[in-house]
Amino acid sequence: MAPLRSLERDYPIIDSNFQQFCASHGIFSAAHDKGNENCELWAGTQILSPQSIVEDLLIHDLYVLVALAEQHSTSERLKQGITQALSIIDGQHQPWLNGMELLEDAQQNKHVLSTGCESIDTLLQGGLHEGHLTELVGPSSSGKTQICLQAASNVAKKYMGGVAFFDTGNSFSPKRIAHFISQSSGPADKEANHKILQKLMSNISCHSVFDFFTLLDVLHQLKSNLRFQTGGQLRLLIIDSISSLITPILGGRGSHGRALMISAGFLLKKLAHEHNLCVLVTNHMVGGEGGITKPALGESWKSIPHVRLRLSRDHGGNICEMSIIRHPYMASGKAARFMIS
Amino acid sequence: MAAALGGWIQGDESAKEMLGRVLTERPFLLLPPLHRVPLRVGNVVEIVGPAHSAKTDILMQAAISCILPKHWNGVHYGGLEHLVMFFDLDCRFDILRLSQSLKHQIMEANGSRTNVSQEQHGVDVSNYNSKEPHIKYDKELFAACMRRFFHVRCYDSLEFLATLKTLHYQLQKERERQGVGVHFLMIDSIGAFHWIDRASTSLPLGVDNRKILSLQSVSETVVQEIRKLLMVHPMLVLVTKAANLVDKYSTNEAKMTSRKWSSQNALDLKTIRSGSQKLSYHEYMPSVWQSFVTHRILVRASDDSQHQNHPIYLSEWLLPSLSLLDKFIVRDVRTQIWCSIHGKNIVSNKSSFGIFY
Repeated sequence: MAPLRSLERDYPIIDSNFQQFCASHGIFSAAHDKGNENCELWAGTQILSPQSIVEDLLIHDLYVLVALAEQHSTSERLKQGITQALSIIDGQHQPWLNGMELLEDAQQNKHVLSTGCESIDTLLQGGLHEGHLTELVGPSSSGKTQICLQAASNVAKKYMGGVAFFDTGNSFSPKRIAHFISQSSGPADKEANHKILQKLMSNISCHSVFDFFTLLDVLHQLKSNLRFQTGGQLRLLIIDSISSLITPILGGRGSHGRALMISAGFLLKKLAHEHNLCVLVTNHMVGGEGGITKPALGESWKSIPHVRLRLSRDHGGNICEMSIIRHPYMASGKAARFMIS
Repeated sequence: MAAALGGWIQGDESAKEMLGRVLTERPFLLLPPLHRVPLRVGNVVEIVGPAHSAKTDILMQAAISCILPKHWNGVHYGGLEHLVMFFDLDCRFDILRLSQSLKHQIMEANGSRTNVSQEQHGVDVSNYNSKEPHIKYDKELFAACMRRFFHVRCYDSLEFLATLKTLHYQLQKERERQGVGVHFLMIDSIGAFHWIDRASTSLPLGVDNRKILSLQSVSETVVQEIRKLLMVHPMLVLVTKAANLVDKYSTNEAKMTSRKWSSQNALDLKTIRSGSQKLSYHEYMPSVWQSFVTHRILVRASDDSQHQNHPIYLSEWLLPSLSLLDKFIVRDVRTQIWCSIHGKNIVSNKSSFGIFY
């Protein structure tokens, strides 16, 4: 009952009498293990935030609790306690926003970032959207990493924006980045170009991540960094490839791996929305039944990304094709061709 | 229980409010593919289908018909002029889709009016450039409609429960502010936290009478809270649910051949299979939720057919069971999305299968 007791300091109405009343009806408000998402709440803190304490109350019928309270001698005070608990609960969810407020947020804070590839930008009506989780799915050498590198270069160059590149298979290539950055700059003197290049390269931070739990750690670290960063320079977050981190934990029929995958998806969407980031992830293909290849992250993953783009490449050719499988407001089926330079 | 409720609601409704409530309890006329069955407030409609089957598009279409007024400045929009509460459990909602779609509908309604008035007043039509892409839409109307749409994101089941538990106050507040109540409560999508909740466990406290947070208790509480809300706020509940399809007949066939059934039977089965595409889906929601649902429609993308590069979707009512398939497409004309019924429906008897052209 320690958690409820810690509430008493902030909310005197939630006193020992109220706590006893709750306990007699099976409400103890202890923490529960909900995967990594909430771990940071517990780590290293003895005092729990009121936000995390009312959990037991959430699965109870408060109407019934009020009825029970009325039979008590201290019913008024108990009911005040329940009302207080309800107001704590009210602070526990995201705010209700109306359509105009949402539109304002979208227009002011959620910009479209050009990928640096003209035909892709045309297909996606400008490029990658901040606030969206965009997924590239395709077989190996269909251009997934190239698009990631090009987008990283372009965001660093065109928007002076920060890019975090989570590299899971040593695919990050500073050479390619330098190539993309210098591609569109004029024939100015080498010295100046080199300085600019260095500055832009420093906007792109690459982190090698080889397992899922390291990814969660890095994301949580990023989340707390972003919370205290007022300037908010980070604009693009790339995970190439997220599927190679998730597939090892999916093994077997158990649900725990999927639970982790879905939580990671929600964490990425939360980061994207709250910090106005573009999140770009790649999903590789594996051999399925009957020799047909399929995305490594299958059905349960499909509910995660905002945008799903399929990539393919002509056999041996340089021409890649990108088609829209899912987009919040574009019809699926549209496609664009582009060349990897 | 009744006394407890009274305590929370603070007094009964007035006669005016009651009349308003009773008057809303007429069936809604919804757009395809929800048009086949009369739906009333208090109904819980589940739109079930695999990923990418236009489930959220159907919600958007219904939301727009709810927030549009019936008439505005002499133009007929045919809406309900009520509020929509949208629970975004997938956290994938994009406001641009709603706003573009709404603008499109407002312009469409205005476009038809402009033509009519021009004909009536004998305006020189030759000067009127009908190909003008930017027909002005009524900004005031647009804003009024958008303010009738409410959205909340939930990143886990606890946030969802916290939102539901305090929704009553939110609904009261908005009804007082806007003068109209909520007609549609939307949840997109109900199974979003299924895997997380299945894997989550409460820390044991060594106490016997403690209710443990679980998939089951979350669903029970969700149903309980919505049920209580519906008692005081008559609303139509529209819910999407992502589910994998299972091909009934192919699994049956596998079983049957392994049992070495007579060739006659195997032949029958094949006929059914080749003729019918009847599919079922994999149900994963707890029974307390399943029995709460009053109507269920299955949607999916058709395998091969396309209409002008747009995928064709199929819809089929499972509850009540109607043996007909509707086709619809979701189109984006300059990023406007609208649903339209496409193709003819062939009604078939229940044991047989539907064919469509």
